[in-house]
Amino acid sequence: MSCTRRNLLIGTGAVIFTTGVTSVVASVTSKTLAATMTEGKKRYGMVFDSRACIGCTKCSEACRETNNVPEGVSRLEIIRSGPIGEYPDVHYRFDRNSCQHCDNAPCVYVCPTGAAYKDEKTGIIDVEGDKCVGCGYCLAACPYQVRFFHPETGSADKCNFCRDTNLQAGKLPACVLSCPTNALIFGDLNDANSEINKVIANNAVYRSKVELGVEPKLYKIADAKGEIKR
Amino acid sequence: MNTFIEAFSNEAIVWDWIIAVYLFLAGMSAGMVMIAIYLKRKVIEGRAADNGIIKATAILAPFGIIAGLTILVFHLTKPLSFWKIMIYINPTSIMSMGVILFNVYMTILFVWIALLFKDELISLINKYLGDKFGFISVLIDKIKPLENILEIVLAILAVTLAAYTGFLLSALKTFPLLNNPVLPVLFIFSSLSSGAAASLMFGVLVFKQPMHCPTVKWVHGFERPVVLFELFLLICFFSGLILGGGQKEVAAMAAISAGFWASWFWIGVVGLGMLLPLILNFVSSESTRHKSSFLLTVTGLSLVGVLMLRTFILYAGQMTVV
Repeated sequence: MSCTRRNLLIGTGAVIFTTGVTSVVASVTSKTLAATMTEGKKRYGMVFDSRACIGCTKCSEACRETNNVPEGVSRLEIIRSGPIGEYPDVHYRFDRNSCQHCDNAPCVYVCPTGAAYKDEKTGIIDVEGDKCVGCGYCLAACPYQVRFFHPETGSADKCNFCRDTNLQAGKLPACVLSCPTNALIFGDLNDANSEINKVIANNAVYRSKVELGVEPKLYKIADAKGEIKR
Repeated sequence: MNTFIEAFSNEAIVWDWIIAVYLFLAGMSAGMVMIAIYLKRKVIEGRAADNGIIKATAILAPFGIIAGLTILVFHLTKPLSFWKIMIYINPTSIMSMGVILFNVYMTILFVWIALLFKDELISLINKYLGDKFGFISVLIDKIKPLENILEIVLAILAVTLAAYTGFLLSALKTFPLLNNPVLPVLFIFSSLSSGAAASLMFGVLVFKQPMHCPTVKWVHGFERPVVLFELFLLICFFSGLILGGGQKEVAAMAAISAGFWASWFWIGVVGLGMLLPLILNFVSSESTRHKSSFLLTVTGLSLVGVLMLRTFILYAGQMTVV
């Protein structure tokens, strides 16, 4: 691949432009949205690179095993769409559907008992099973529709970035570790030098349904082909 | 029949018809209380407890709220943990605020009914429990001076409760059809319409309030503007969604343009529940309108219509995600 002087200049300009704008937005929102935790402590997020994803679903299998997720429900799904083009030049697109760990999480706001909560140390949205009565308000309130009732406990359940399993053991989330193509990047969004912030700064990323103001922390790098379905 | 079963066994639905029955019962309770308080203060001359509509309210308003909450508890995945919803409070949760509202509403409703039916209550207690409960009579007499303020508070709580059934759903930004500011207002008016129908059905047919008395006439006169305004609110509801474009428009069109829920809405909610009672009342002679069978038909249609509206909003609302 050739890199002309012109392309390099455009690229650097784009990076400065996007990072400059995001930091301005971040500083404004931290003042206006009391519920947004942009400073202090850790703020874990994830990048899903759909260019790298091959749809092997190793991530969902690893998640199931690590977090004891029973059959019939899942914390993480890889959704395949396509094909684009005709044989032999066919192309499939893959998307990740899981908890986006919103800074302004609707599930946390609507939960009548406080069972759905944001862990202030990590910014992770989690469920305190003992407090959950199983009303289903959070299942309905989630704009990404990723919550479900655990068939064994009856509590609302969903991805918690392996907070009580791998993360507690000092490891990366199971999906990240299992991905053979490194399509998942996990890290602290508050740490300016973290890998995740570098990936976000150097790629055209998007987040799903940002117009709802929920401030999701799952970033996605769009597939090279076709329209982005947010 | 198959489409019927299919429509009701959609697995993507988190809140099903049981929630619709609960919304209906809570709304009917609130509507009856609003109407009964108005009648007692402005229309009834003499002892309110002797009026059939007040008697019907004293039975059905607590029944609605208790039955509604009972089925709600059994709809939880952990019914035995329901008490946790009362001790853990989340001020940003509409449902949590609703739990507090329900408790206060039920308490004041029981006190109000005890004040109205003091004589009946005391004679029942004396008959079945003996004379050890004399303090209840003293207690009621002590609360009696607060009757006026309690009544105003109860009326406000009833309006809030009717609106709450709407706010509960309009808080869900996931579903454009539910996330709609008209919903609480629409539910206040559908509560009033079900409250009016239940008042007439049970007040006249069960508690034998005469057709010609001022209270029955007032509720009759009140029904028509309520239903007409409800129709107008439905127009606001759907035109707002359609004009909003995007997923709002998709949600509205999916709900009312074609399919099972569109038929349910046009034939059931609008046709049977609203237009048919309006037309029947308009074309029938006065002697027909005063027949028990006619009253049963018209109020029955209104009640079925309100239950169908709540079911429709719930199911059609959860069909389209933002």
